[in-house]
Amino acid sequence: MHDSRIRLWIYQHFAGTGRAPSPVEIAAHFGLTPDHVERALHRLQAERDALVLIPGGPYIWMAEPFSAVPTSFLVRSGTRQWWGNCIWDGLAILALLGVDGAVSTACPVSGQPLVVSVVDGAVVAAPGVVHFAVAARDWWRDIGFT
Amino acid sequence: MLLFRSEDNVRAWCGQRHLTPGEIFDPPRLWPLARAWYDDRLEPDWRRRTVVQRQAILDAAGFRGSFWRLIDS
Repeated sequence: MHDSRIRLWIYQHFAGTGRAPSPVEIAAHFGLTPDHVERALHRLQAERDALVLIPGGPYIWMAEPFSAVPTSFLVRSGTRQWWGNCIWDGLAILALLGVDGAVSTACPVSGQPLVVSVVDGAVVAAPGVVHFAVAARDWWRDIGFT
Repeated sequence: MLLFRSEDNVRAWCGQRHLTPGEIFDPPRLWPLARAWYDDRLEPDWRRRTVVQRQAILDAAGFRGSFWRLIDS
């Protein structure tokens, strides 16, 4: 089993269901052992920079722009929903899937709900301001903070 | 990359963390970057773009200047 097929299926699973598949689910889909899949996931992280695993385990944390864990950026399109890793990734999910929708978050300081909507392929309602705290060359130094 | 109600709230958030504010801009400006950065992720033969390719995307989306440099020029 080529790692590329596993990577693509992880993305398709995120896109279709809003969540990451577990190693057991991946193994069942491809007729592999979970051990084989876990090694593939570690290779995809370490050698191809294709995803981020939860530290110390074989479970997917991020396959950018998707997050496997709930975050402050809920992305909705119709009845479908996903978690984005940040406001950039939230918008990127809608762009990647080619769907209209909205990214819902809240101001970290005031708690005010903020919703950025995409209609007909463009951002139409956009309250608030985006803040990039980390300069580009340091984005991958601590991807969780970034 | 977070969304705040106002620039004052960005400064308050940074002050609480002893951080210097980074780059602040309106959400629509992020859209071209959101569209381009991950547009290859559902391709079967995906490979992470090189740093030169990623820099080109940032430049094309209008994110220029030292803050947005992935590499030294």
